[in-house]
Amino acid sequence: MDDLLTGFAQALTPENLIWALIGVTIGTAVGVLPGIGPALTVALLLPITFRLEPAAALIMFAGIYYGGMYGGSTTSILLNTPGESSSVATALEGNKMARAGRGAAALATAAIGSFVAGTIGTIALTAAAPLVADIAIGFGPPEYVALMAVAFVTVSAMLGPSLLRGGASLVIGATIGLIGIDTLTGQPRLTFGVPSLLDGIDVVIVVVALFALSETFAHVLEGTGRSRVEPVRGAPMLSRADFRRSWPAWLRGTALGFPIGSLPAGGAEVPTFLSYSLEKRLSKHPEEFGHGAIEGVAGPEAANNAAAAGVLVPLLTIGLPTSATAAVILTAFQSYGLQPGPQLFTESGDLVWALIASLYIGNVLLLVLNLPLVKVWARLLTIPAYGIYAGVLLFACLGTFAAGGTIADLVVLTVLGLIGLLMRQAGVPVAPAIVGLILAPLAEQQLRRALSLSDGDWTVLVSSPLTVILWLIVVMALVMPILWRLRSASRKTS
Amino acid sequence: MTEPDAPPAENDQARASLLLGLIMVLGAVVVLVDAARLRDSDDAVGPAAAPSLIGTLLGLLGGALAWQGARSGRTHAGEDRGKRRLWRLAALVVTLIAFAFVLPIFGYVLSSAALFTAAALLLGAPHPGRVVAYGWTLAAVAFLIFDRLIGLSLPAGPWGF
Repeated sequence: MDDLLTGFAQALTPENLIWALIGVTIGTAVGVLPGIGPALTVALLLPITFRLEPAAALIMFAGIYYGGMYGGSTTSILLNTPGESSSVATALEGNKMARAGRGAAALATAAIGSFVAGTIGTIALTAAAPLVADIAIGFGPPEYVALMAVAFVTVSAMLGPSLLRGGASLVIGATIGLIGIDTLTGQPRLTFGVPSLLDGIDVVIVVVALFALSETFAHVLEGTGRSRVEPVRGAPMLSRADFRRSWPAWLRGTALGFPIGSLPAGGAEVPTFLSYSLEKRLSKHPEEFGHGAIEGVAGPEAANNAAAAGVLVPLLTIGLPTSATAAVILTAFQSYGLQPGPQLFTESGDLVWALIASLYIGNVLLLVLNLPLVKVWARLLTIPAYGIYAGVLLFACLGTFAAGGTIADLVVLTVLGLIGLLMRQAGVPVAPAIVGLILAPLAEQQLRRALSLSDGDWTVLVSSPLTVILWLIVVMALVMPILWRLRSASRKTS
Repeated sequence: MTEPDAPPAENDQARASLLLGLIMVLGAVVVLVDAARLRDSDDAVGPAAAPSLIGTLLGLLGGALAWQGARSGRTHAGEDRGKRRLWRLAALVVTLIAFAFVLPIFGYVLSSAALFTAAALLLGAPHPGRVVAYGWTLAAVAFLIFDRLIGLSLPAGPWGF
């Protein structure tokens, strides 16, 4: 608790508050642009924070992160173009409400729901993170290998329409992660003699390529220069009836979002859909679902934000990113000189608590900023698509240049953008690729560390009860979908 | 999967799956050949183990994707429809590559303004004059913020911006 207060003291200086405000504002402004989800917002805006001192950078970053999340849901509701799979559920009912002229109420319930869920989620993070870090400090390489195996399997199964497509994406990411010098033997892998590939390909470049360039390419390919905007009518306020229907949904969404998000498994999308179907089942107005039911916006949006706070638990305490956004956050932290993991809280405790305090502050700023400014954000959507995507391209190249700084990086960006376009066309989700890119090298490193500690004895991987349980989860996650399919198939034939 | 008229979107997806799968198989070969070249170490898991595993998985999943694509798509439909779109895409890719090489020579602002203009026109912007103005403004503002204010050093052309 004292730690948190110190964190607030550090974050609440006038200078840092201004950084937080700037972060929230530009985070929302970029996140609002169609097709730009939180992961891409954070990746595109990362260069802005590079030259700040670590505390200010983290505080601004927290603002960008939460602003990007909120901006993304605004677009999902108004345009039905969710930038990331975790806003798909929000868009289902939210866009129906917008089309029925109830966009203001949908945005209000999303904003307040985000605030409620974000605040409760951050409180839960404050309580859970030190505990998990205490447990994780006893983890050795075998536990890490098993945890990463769980993340691999669940990310490919949950972040995609099928295990094949999710797995394909994960492996594409893992392949990109191979590029660079092998840390143990110092040999270059897959560098083809290009010097700038020796350090590997920066995560920011991959995120920008797979999310931003592929989207721009898709628009060029399909010639879709125009998108329709639903005007926001009325003030973004909730009527009493709307409020009565919203608040239980916010709380239920939060209750689903945080625990599931904080599991070391593929994360933020599952609770949003669970929340959607839960609200549909519990609603007193089930006939409104599919035509703009407010619970269907309130619940998933709260689940999304609570999960976003939950994802920070394995990220900060174990160093395990389970979503594309978390993968970018991990890179950001490393560029500020922070190494997420069990030691983070003891080694850079003051910075982490300043970050957590800024999450609270960011949440309040968002609410204050967004309810009055909803119409301004909605006007950003009237920028024609060609302007948005040409601008995105410009900033994508800028971000790439800031991250890598060579011509070769820009060529890599273009090539990866084409691969991203192909993945998109083939219905292969891109988010697992980002997770694979980060996790595969980490898993390799931990596996080799585990085996060199045990002198090549493979049984070290199942040497503790926790590892056995985790490997059983891996097997179940792989076998269950197949059994499921066989069972439903046999039921159909009988 | 032999319905006479698969919807064009599904057909596109099948073709993209086939192409992506084939690229993955090709990538798998590259990864495996590269892995075979590595000097082994005396550790239990050497430097080639991860690439071999990932390469194998890449090949298997790519093969499955390609097979699925080939099975559900018909290859001969909609050949001309996509030609012009592909040309536009190719033009954008060429623009991006050109941007990469021109950047150190002409500096950030001019190169980026040109990139913006070309991209916006390829995306279907109606007023070329206005697009050029937007491009200049955006590139100049980005340069001022990132180079002058934040201190990332962006490439300056012979005229210093």
